[in-house]
Amino acid sequence: MRNSWRLLTPLVAAGLAVAACSSGGTPQTGGQASPGGSAPPATQPAQQPAQAGEFPRNETLYSTGTMWGPPANFNPMDEGNHATGTVGLVYETLFHFDTNAKKLTPWLAESGSWTDDKTYVVKLRSGVTWNDGKPFTAKDVAFTYGLGKIKGSAFAHVWDWLEAVEATDDQTVTVKFKTAKYSQWDFELYQRAIVPQHLWEGKDDKDVLTGMNENPVGTGAYKYLSHADDRVVYQRRDDWWGKTALNMEPKPKYFVHIVTPSNEVALGLFMQKQLDLANNYIPGMNRIAGEASGIHTYYPQAPYNLSANTAWLVPNTTKKPLNDAAFRKALATSVDVPSIVKNVYGEVVQAASPTGLLPGWKDFDDQAVIGEKGFTFNTDNAKKMLADAGYKDTDGDGLVENKDGSKISLKLITPAGWSDWNQSASVIATSAKAAGIDVTAETPDFPALLEARNAGKFDLVINNERQLSVSPWTYYDYLFRQPVNEVQNTVNFGRYENKQAWDLVQQLDAVKTDDVEGMKKVISQLQAIHLDELPAIPLWYNGVWSQASNGVWKNWGADGGANKYPAVFWRHWFEMGGFETLTQLQTNGS
Amino acid sequence: MTALQEITTREAESASGPSRDWLHFAVRNKKLVIGTLIILLFLCIGVFGPLLARSGSAYDFVGPRMEPPSSEFWFGTTLFGQDIFAQFVYGVRNAFMVGLFGGGVAAIVGMVVGFLAGYRGGWVDEVLSMITNVVLVLPSLAVLIVVNAYLGIRSIPAQALFIGLTMWPWAARAIRAQTFSLRSRDFVDLARLSGSGTGRIIAREIAPNMSSYLVMMFILMFGGAILTAASLDFIGLGPTEGVSLGLMLQHASVNSALPLGLWWWFVPPGAAITALVGAMYVANVGLDEVFNPKLREM
Amino acid sequence: MRRYFGRKLLLYGLTFFVAVTINWMIPRFMPGDPVSTMLARRTVNDPAAYEQMRVYYSDLFGLDKPIWEQYLNFWGSLLQGDFGISVWAFPTPVGSVILSALPYTLALVIPAVLLSWVVGNWFGAFAARRKLLDSAVLPVGYLLTAMPYMWLAALLAWVLGVVTGWFPFAGGYSFSRTPELTWPFIQDLIMHWVLPFLSLFLVALGGWAIGMRNMIIYELDSDYSNYLGALGAPNRLIRRYAFRNAMLPQITGLALQLGVIVAGAVVTEIVFAYPGLGLTILRAIQNLDFFLLQGVFLFIVVGVLIANFVIDVVYLLVDPRTRIGVA
Repeated sequence: MRNSWRLLTPLVAAGLAVAACSSGGTPQTGGQASPGGSAPPATQPAQQPAQAGEFPRNETLYSTGTMWGPPANFNPMDEGNHATGTVGLVYETLFHFDTNAKKLTPWLAESGSWTDDKTYVVKLRSGVTWNDGKPFTAKDVAFTYGLGKIKGSAFAHVWDWLEAVEATDDQTVTVKFKTAKYSQWDFELYQRAIVPQHLWEGKDDKDVLTGMNENPVGTGAYKYLSHADDRVVYQRRDDWWGKTALNMEPKPKYFVHIVTPSNEVALGLFMQKQLDLANNYIPGMNRIAGEASGIHTYYPQAPYNLSANTAWLVPNTTKKPLNDAAFRKALATSVDVPSIVKNVYGEVVQAASPTGLLPGWKDFDDQAVIGEKGFTFNTDNAKKMLADAGYKDTDGDGLVENKDGSKISLKLITPAGWSDWNQSASVIATSAKAAGIDVTAETPDFPALLEARNAGKFDLVINNERQLSVSPWTYYDYLFRQPVNEVQNTVNFGRYENKQAWDLVQQLDAVKTDDVEGMKKVISQLQAIHLDELPAIPLWYNGVWSQASNGVWKNWGADGGANKYPAVFWRHWFEMGGFETLTQLQTNGS
Repeated sequence: MTALQEITTREAESASGPSRDWLHFAVRNKKLVIGTLIILLFLCIGVFGPLLARSGSAYDFVGPRMEPPSSEFWFGTTLFGQDIFAQFVYGVRNAFMVGLFGGGVAAIVGMVVGFLAGYRGGWVDEVLSMITNVVLVLPSLAVLIVVNAYLGIRSIPAQALFIGLTMWPWAARAIRAQTFSLRSRDFVDLARLSGSGTGRIIAREIAPNMSSYLVMMFILMFGGAILTAASLDFIGLGPTEGVSLGLMLQHASVNSALPLGLWWWFVPPGAAITALVGAMYVANVGLDEVFNPKLREM
Repeated sequence: MRRYFGRKLLLYGLTFFVAVTINWMIPRFMPGDPVSTMLARRTVNDPAAYEQMRVYYSDLFGLDKPIWEQYLNFWGSLLQGDFGISVWAFPTPVGSVILSALPYTLALVIPAVLLSWVVGNWFGAFAARRKLLDSAVLPVGYLLTAMPYMWLAALLAWVLGVVTGWFPFAGGYSFSRTPELTWPFIQDLIMHWVLPFLSLFLVALGGWAIGMRNMIIYELDSDYSNYLGALGAPNRLIRRYAFRNAMLPQITGLALQLGVIVAGAVVTEIVFAYPGLGLTILRAIQNLDFFLLQGVFLFIVVGVLIANFVIDVVYLLVDPRTRIGVA
């Protein structure tokens, strides 16, 4: 027996070592197997870390909660799939968005302004270099926008209203508009990562859109170091332009991002001080957050986190009886959101305002309109509204029927395995039934749900895909976008048609974003339509999930603290405080 | 499930018919008595527990969140304020259901295939054995994942059925071997000479002579079905409706019960499965000793 | 002997065929196809661009051909080692995903199976008919073998990992390391291997110990043992014969166990986030990545078939009766 032990141990070790060191995947030959580039090897160190062996703990930041699969590519043009850090750490945008001050802050741009109603001029910073040493110029910006003209590009829509993006000189970009879209343009300014012309102009369209882009060359403060199926590692770049231009320096030398493990593993890693930040929803986190555990949240008490997006109950407005605004209003009134907030989430989320606008946009809520047309949870009111609208329980089962007497039976779908949403859905179903509306919660698999949602083959669905942004325009675009296509992939899943509302949304986009009063005027009209029609019912605000450990790094963003940036590395959130967080951290000396 | 192999290959000596005084030995066999008592205890929990639990769904938010065990909530509450005792008793009840139904399906299919193959021999045996071996070699978890992904298992009986349909080859193989050795015995020949049909001979002559063996087989299938169900539940392939011990484990794990200090959520379902299945194995060995004098304690 | 192997190979061939066919059916008859999953991930709302991408992905996944042709193509590409492209790890080929996970699972399962078998049998044989030891081995054995894998695994991770901090409990190697062929890295690998191995090993151990114990008791009471005893042979010798005879069913048992071990490995890897095939299965299920599920399933079937074959060969070597075609 002892012999076997002695024999097996080295064998196992050798086997594991081969597993970890071998590139894992033999690179496949033949273009068909690997669209737009060669297959990504599982582990491909671009260069060895400065010293062999381990990253020093007090120079490394470990985070998780943004990636659910292995790092697929480092291509900023592949919006939905690129690895965390591709945009934000390696590639950068012209501006960042400060969610506290609610304004754009210049980043690669030194400044930007409208010179007339249809011309926007960006002045770039000088001294910015790509990490291969080449200078960053206005040509790169113009080139990047040119890539948007490729069919199937994630930002092809900008060319519906852009006329031209030109490099006037090395530091100046002039953007000409066919139609000025002020809100969308502001949004665009901190979303679009700029890529280097000298490396990208040779790529074919497919490679640009979906290529792997190994060894990404960007202007950012970090360089890609290595990745494996469960992690991606970046190393700080010591010649980053921001050190002098912005007087900022990210503190962690190594940035290790871990593909989201189970909550149990994440919490275990937290307790062992092996993890510094988790950006996924971890149920029950508020139970252990606090001084004793060293686990930090933005607020020390409920709601613990800032709000990131609104969860909406989207009714399919093409189906009976959901095509009736009065019915939708009764449904909205019947939903027991307080129970969801309290029981399902333990108050780590907040109930949404009737308009659904995030707390960050509170100023845009027209209280007069809300007072007149808003709704709050009240089962009795919901019953009365149903009765008033002509929905009666004709067969005596306690549930109302359609006006023509046919049965109402609505299915609310949430993706299987999204346990908080599944539970919320059953609360909604129960409370709707109490008011007399037959709603059943169902949990199809995610892809099946997507198909149903996008094709309009559903009754009710919960969705939260629009994030906090520079302008509430993004929310009204989400609610009212026309035309309704055969497949609705990103907005207006409820297929609500209202030309007047869409005209107003476009009108909102035509108001300069520094004209807050002008925006409010349009928004107030949109809110009146929204509350009258309820094409989507706001439920609660999901948090900017950000659970940080004070074990190794401290000075995380906090309400009223010196650092107010939300610590979150989701897509586009590096530009909304995630990157700034890195510059604010301090090592915990003790 | 691991204890199965010991019975699959044993020669027919145990099938020479149970001794008539087995009851005498049964009540004196410690293993059998202890095992049976534990099983009965859980049976009582499963049958009567739900009467003590709160009415309504076991998933209702009935209490404060994360309450440790108390006089009001005997097993405490979950992260969401659900009553763990209620989930537990329904979970135990459903464990028996999965065991009975899953083990039952496996036993029935296994018996049909095993008896037929063993008694008829020839090409019937060839074909049935081939099928048996194919199903046996296919890793059952993988098949269940596929079947589940394909059809979707929504209810606990459906889950039990699928488990039964992948577990039967164990039984079939063992029963075939036993039948094979019995079919040339005198009493079977006699029955055949008197003109009895295949079904009748199997039912009247062969099955009774290996009844003890069949009982033990069923017990092992029962335990195996519970363990398999728990594994399936844990990787998210459990029923979407209903409560089970495996689902409790999965929910507790997904919601990080241990790191959050909610041990009362994570420990009971696992402990119950261990105790119940362990008791079955112990009782099984006890039975074996009762039926086989050679095995009895010194 | 040729007949013995002939039948076995026929069996394995048939099993393989059935497995491949079941396997092929998976992604093709499911609601929610991979194409729409990929499309949903790309945030494209323009109808023309959408249609273009749909054609692109359908072609990529080979889902735009008649069913029978898809089936034949499936076999064709299978024999070339092409399992398609993973949806979860898009655009990595399924083969690469599996190959990078496979060594972890093998390093976990093979030692766990062999060691638990060896140690379990040894304990069982030792305990049989030794009253004191027997009463200790039996209950522990039953408890271990009746434990749900994931329950034991989670408890081990909690106690030996999180609370005491003795062993790492997540991942294949530290997040602070980059793979390299150095001693500290290999040490790190082994440390991460310990807990998942232990939980697989312990559950399997109990079953073998009990099986062997019962078998030995049978053998010690058999006619030849009594005869040897009557002839005055030393106990050691009798035990050795008993052990040899009891071994045979245990080898067969090993073959029957493989499926169970696979299941155990899957849930154990999930608990420890160990980057093997089990975790890959979970990801494939969660993301409805049927190409990946197909690939892993096939690998498991092939693995189990190979293991069965090895056991057949071993059995042949150990049991002379097989060689002359009695069994």
